[in-house]
Amino acid sequence: MRALLWLASIIAASLLAFMLGGYATDVYRKMLVWIALALSYNFLFGVAGQIAFSQFAFAGVGAYGVVILAHKLGLPFGVALAGAIALCSLLAFIVAVPSTRLEGFYLALATLAFAQLFLVVVNEGGDLTGGTGGIAGYRLPDVFGYTLRGPWYTVVLVLLVALTLHILLRLERSSFGRACRAIKDNPAVAAAMGIDVRRTKVITFTLTSTLAGLAGAAYAYVDNVINPPVFGLDNIFLLLFMIIVGGMGRPAGAMLGAVLLYLAPFVLEPIVGHAYLVLFGVLVVLAILFQPKGLIGLIDRLVDRLGPEQRA
Amino acid sequence: MTTAPLIKVEGLTKRFGGLVAVEDLSFDVESGEILALIGPNGAGKTTTFNLIAGVLVPSAGHIALDGQRIDGMPVHRIAGLGMMRTFQHNMPFAGMSLTANVLIGSHRKLRASVLDILAGRSFVRDEETQARQRAGELIDFVGLNAYRGADVTTLSFGEGRLLEIARALAGSPRVILLDEPAAGLTTAEISRLSAMIRRIAADGVSVLLVEHDMHFLLPLAHRVVVLNFGRKIAEGGSRDIVRDPAVKEAYLGEAAGALREGAPDA
Amino acid sequence: MDDFLELTVSAMASGCIYGLMALAYLIVLRPTSIINFAIGEWSATGAFVGVGMLSTLAWPRFEGPYILAIVAVVVVLGLLGWAVERLTVRPLIRRGAAVTSPILALLGVLVIFRESLTLIYGADPLPSPPPFGFKRIEIGAFAGASQQFFIIAVTLSLFALVWLFFERTVWGRAFEAVALNRRAAALMGINLGRVTALAFAGGAAVAGLAGLLMSPMTSAHYMMGLPLAIQGFTALVIGGVGRVEGALLGGLILAFVEQLGARYLPIPSGLTLAFPFALLILFLLLRPTGLIAPREAR
Ligand SMILES: Nc1ncnc2c1ncn2[C@@H]1O[C@H](COP(=O)(O)OP(=O)(O)OP(=O)(O)O)[C@@H](O)[C@H]1O
Ligand SMILES: [Mg+2]
Repeated sequence: MRALLWLASIIAASLLAFMLGGYATDVYRKMLVWIALALSYNFLFGVAGQIAFSQFAFAGVGAYGVVILAHKLGLPFGVALAGAIALCSLLAFIVAVPSTRLEGFYLALATLAFAQLFLVVVNEGGDLTGGTGGIAGYRLPDVFGYTLRGPWYTVVLVLLVALTLHILLRLERSSFGRACRAIKDNPAVAAAMGIDVRRTKVITFTLTSTLAGLAGAAYAYVDNVINPPVFGLDNIFLLLFMIIVGGMGRPAGAMLGAVLLYLAPFVLEPIVGHAYLVLFGVLVVLAILFQPKGLIGLIDRLVDRLGPEQRA
Repeated sequence: MTTAPLIKVEGLTKRFGGLVAVEDLSFDVESGEILALIGPNGAGKTTTFNLIAGVLVPSAGHIALDGQRIDGMPVHRIAGLGMMRTFQHNMPFAGMSLTANVLIGSHRKLRASVLDILAGRSFVRDEETQARQRAGELIDFVGLNAYRGADVTTLSFGEGRLLEIARALAGSPRVILLDEPAAGLTTAEISRLSAMIRRIAADGVSVLLVEHDMHFLLPLAHRVVVLNFGRKIAEGGSRDIVRDPAVKEAYLGEAAGALREGAPDA
Repeated sequence: MDDFLELTVSAMASGCIYGLMALAYLIVLRPTSIINFAIGEWSATGAFVGVGMLSTLAWPRFEGPYILAIVAVVVVLGLLGWAVERLTVRPLIRRGAAVTSPILALLGVLVIFRESLTLIYGADPLPSPPPFGFKRIEIGAFAGASQQFFIIAVTLSLFALVWLFFERTVWGRAFEAVALNRRAAALMGINLGRVTALAFAGGAAVAGLAGLLMSPMTSAHYMMGLPLAIQGFTALVIGGVGRVEGALLGGLILAFVEQLGARYLPIPSGLTLAFPFALLILFLLLRPTGLIAPREAR
């Protein structure tokens, strides 16, 4: 039954790819990448309570990694992809080990430093990274003999979201997810219950950063161009806001937040210009103050209220 | 049946700057024994618990669990060896249901790694089902079955005390540390709690108990260690303790009355 | 050698700015455990408020009323910091929310401030006049722009004042008591809400002042906050999050490493931008408590 539901959702989301065209396709594809990133970030920050600013840097490592390995160094695509993902895991592990040893906000600082360091390296990488201009003019090679172009690449992105969601739901509903929530709530008590707090944090950080890398690698072939600003701090704030507004710790909330906040500027910018960013800021403050469970919490309450009447 | 004690505390000392909270404290606890730690406010009882549980590192002395030194070990490893505890102040995981709270207690027994979980191994699900079943039994055992799915923040203080116990028991402890479990409970709840603790000990679990309520404690404890200003001033059966002049001196006034009244057939 | 002495003055001046930013973090962080990333935007706001004040006054002669600009920055930013605490932080603390909640709310505040600055002042940099013009000054062997000496003088006086506040006044002791143990401090009768409000007002005022002092070099610009925010917490981690003097020390070390490295290391200038981050990561790895350890709880 559940498998059918997954299949139906994947097919529906894929069909949409064939119905859209032109600009709408581009918007839809980027939205899918945002959803994938929001899902993994939601686990890290919403479920496990780690405030990190490195999600886009790891997406960048994945994107630059795969493009450089495949198109600059000429490795076979499968090897390049595996290499980029492995690099993400390794770097994430290296960042996580020292920073989870310290009080909570050190992770924010360490990951912010890492994110900025990544930008400097990319900007100064010369020919290898393309500097401030980035890299363009490459194409996704055939994968196992398949040419994935046009709507078919959008289907790849749909599968990326499905895979990310599947992995994270499985984790969240397991004892591991429970341990993460316990640590978020009270690490000292969690430790007294036999949970290895640091180990759990390091695993969570490494895993979600690796998923970010995967999303980044997928993003690299959306426009077949990558450049540094995409992986900068502005986007990480937006990602954070998506989750706060949508509902921290809830995959459905993260997805909802990603869709709304990604699409909102298309509606708002023509009307209020850049002021929509102020609006986002206000929305975040209001959400934290008055609706900490986010939009998904509101929807839950609404459903609760409607539920009994329908049943009656 | 004189095996080695399950817990052995020797020369335990803890200093906070100039303050000596626990000084040269030694005692043993056998399997299945209920040992009470009593003393006036600030005597160092909670500090002793924190030292045993690994939250604090001793300034001197050592602690062994089943012959293995545990002082200086990280908290989660000590818990992993079967030392579970409750807290003097209720410490539920606020964002979770009652059942999930109790399940957290079972964590030390679960073997599923992240990879096992991601691979969807069948033993992961079996383990989880077992843990859930046991959590359900424990919730019944402490009498909270009406609140299974409830948000723990809606529990009363007394119900919160019971949750602490259920959560600690979920780890199938060899030693359980109970810090003032009876505080805030009604008389009826207290007598149920006594029966509960007797059953826990009867299963071979060592119970270390800190409590101010002597009516509850004295009939229950197999042995009592009395602390005052961090030092052990007396140790023995409940009956001997209440007659001890040093203890009487430490518990002046009202508390001394309670001490006398609470003693079994004194 | 002259070259080195000139570099010393310039590094001292930058280090003072970083030190002020670190101090702004510290004043908020110590009693509340809240790392307030909005502080960078508050320094940008300080720069705009100061420049705004100057341009409505005796532009283009600045010597006289500069003190008014300083007062305006301290007052306006103090009020803004206080208001932000009242509106966003206090309700969360009162509700008993986890410490991450105010940190996140302050990220929202960060974006509100930054985007409001572009709405109010536009996206173009606003030139900021130095109080003593663009004169060069020589003191003994040391030479530099007048603004650099001004920055050093103001920063050192401010650090002296803040140090005296923490060491010598009842309020300063209250701060320290709250930092060591909130519950115990509350039991001692210290008003936690008031300490928190004062911390935000003070932190904002210090950040604003740093922005004003910095602005003649960079112009007042809505993008000036982020680098300052990052340099500030790098200085904070280097110096140690516990003590006022650590903030200044951390700022100076960071600035000297940056400038000496840029000057004497044979690497492309773009890569020198990586120094603060590399330094920060190095400290987090090797000496997370910073150079000057905080006081132990007694
Ligand atoms: N972390 C700490 N830092 C400094 N002093 C502490 C600390 N923990 C406990 N103390 C002090 O150590 C002494 C013993 O405290 P402890 O909490 O162990 O007492 P207790 O016997 O549990 O008292 P109560 O019956 O009130 O719970 C007290 O004077 C207390 O103030
Ligand atoms: Mg106690």
